[in-house]
Amino acid sequence: MSAVRNMLDAPGAMLEVDDDPEALYELLCSKGWSDGLPVIPPTAERVERMLKYYDRALEEPIAKIPPRYGAATPVRVAANAVMAGCKPEYFPLVVLAIEAMAEDRYNLYGTQATTHPCTPFLIFNGPVARELGINAGQNAMGNYFRANAAIGRAVRLTLVNIGAAIPGVGDMATAGTPAKFTFCVAENEAASPWEPLHVELGFPKDASTVTVIAAEGPHNINDHESITAEGILTMIAGTMTITGSNNAYYVGQPCVAFGPEHAQTVAAGGFSKADVKKWLFDRATLPLNRFSSETIERRFRRKLAEDYADASTDAAVRMFKKPEDLLVIVTGGAGKHSAYIPTFGNTRAVTRALTRADGALAKSVEDLRK
Amino acid sequence: MAQLTKRGVMAAVVCSDTFMKLGTAQAKVFGVPDLPLLKIQHPLGGLAKDKVRERAAVALPQLLKFVKEKQS
Repeated sequence: MSAVRNMLDAPGAMLEVDDDPEALYELLCSKGWSDGLPVIPPTAERVERMLKYYDRALEEPIAKIPPRYGAATPVRVAANAVMAGCKPEYFPLVVLAIEAMAEDRYNLYGTQATTHPCTPFLIFNGPVARELGINAGQNAMGNYFRANAAIGRAVRLTLVNIGAAIPGVGDMATAGTPAKFTFCVAENEAASPWEPLHVELGFPKDASTVTVIAAEGPHNINDHESITAEGILTMIAGTMTITGSNNAYYVGQPCVAFGPEHAQTVAAGGFSKADVKKWLFDRATLPLNRFSSETIERRFRRKLAEDYADASTDAAVRMFKKPEDLLVIVTGGAGKHSAYIPTFGNTRAVTRALTRADGALAKSVEDLRK
Repeated sequence: MAQLTKRGVMAAVVCSDTFMKLGTAQAKVFGVPDLPLLKIQHPLGGLAKDKVRERAAVALPQLLKFVKEKQS
């Protein structure tokens, strides 16, 4: 008998339920073990199969997930991955995302329990994303594609079922966001005129990485008219400058996800990624007088006194505090649209590379097959 | 507050009613299930001073009761 089967056969590890899908769905919803949608039953056989591409020790928790600080053991995470509809090949990327979120600078506790509508935004780079079919093209942030849907959903189910991010108990989001079902894309590296995110961050081009940031859902940037870099960037800056954003108050890392056509136009104007960040740093600003008088007094004058105690009412409020803090990616397919993704603010992007147990970069998910 | 309690310092948390479930769960998670939660009406954020005083007036007797019980 396998080690996995031994764990699953331990007292209390398994639950006997009716085979009827509707009965199972009712049971899971009644226990709060779903995201509200039907799931694949995590039978012993399926959980065991899910771990086929997991080459680490089964006894070692991947992370502890707040606010409950439940141990995200490989078997528990695998059960959630089964429920989410993952193929076993997806599982190493689910684990990678959870490891990244568990780093302190991501602030998993704060992002789980907050009233703000944030959720892990997963950005995949490198060959494994392509190998597994994580959509980076048309409708990349939308529905339809199994890898995007299931990987993001597995992460979310882990946060709920192991971390107890239960609305009104451990997840205090005022209204939340539909991105809490899944928010997972790959960067469209083939269509990008710039170096991909992971290369910009110092990883080798053939590394496969995930970047996680606690983000709101995306806001579209429609620009069918601008034919210059400055024109498109002006429209992006206009979309980024909003008074109700956490990014106006915290040292955060919002993200601009360029559609490939916008990116090509901006790059053709001679703009590198660094130029884009600097340009938007200078122009994605709001004058202080656009905020309510109470917000100016209570937030800016007192809580942010170092910068604003004596600032004039037309002082610039930036949406990010250093040019390099802005995340710039290229994703999606044809069309004159980009997206702006505000964040929780008090969260930093974490990028991790997919490696084998011996520490070498995984060039293919097959490197991890047991 | 959990750390203070574990060090033997009297500590309590002011918690609005909407956040009582989270507060109770967190006290258990951090190993101080008896940590007093001084329950006030939600919200606390964004209130004018008179409303903050009303919340304080509700919290204070709870705090005093906790301190007296601890001392006895």
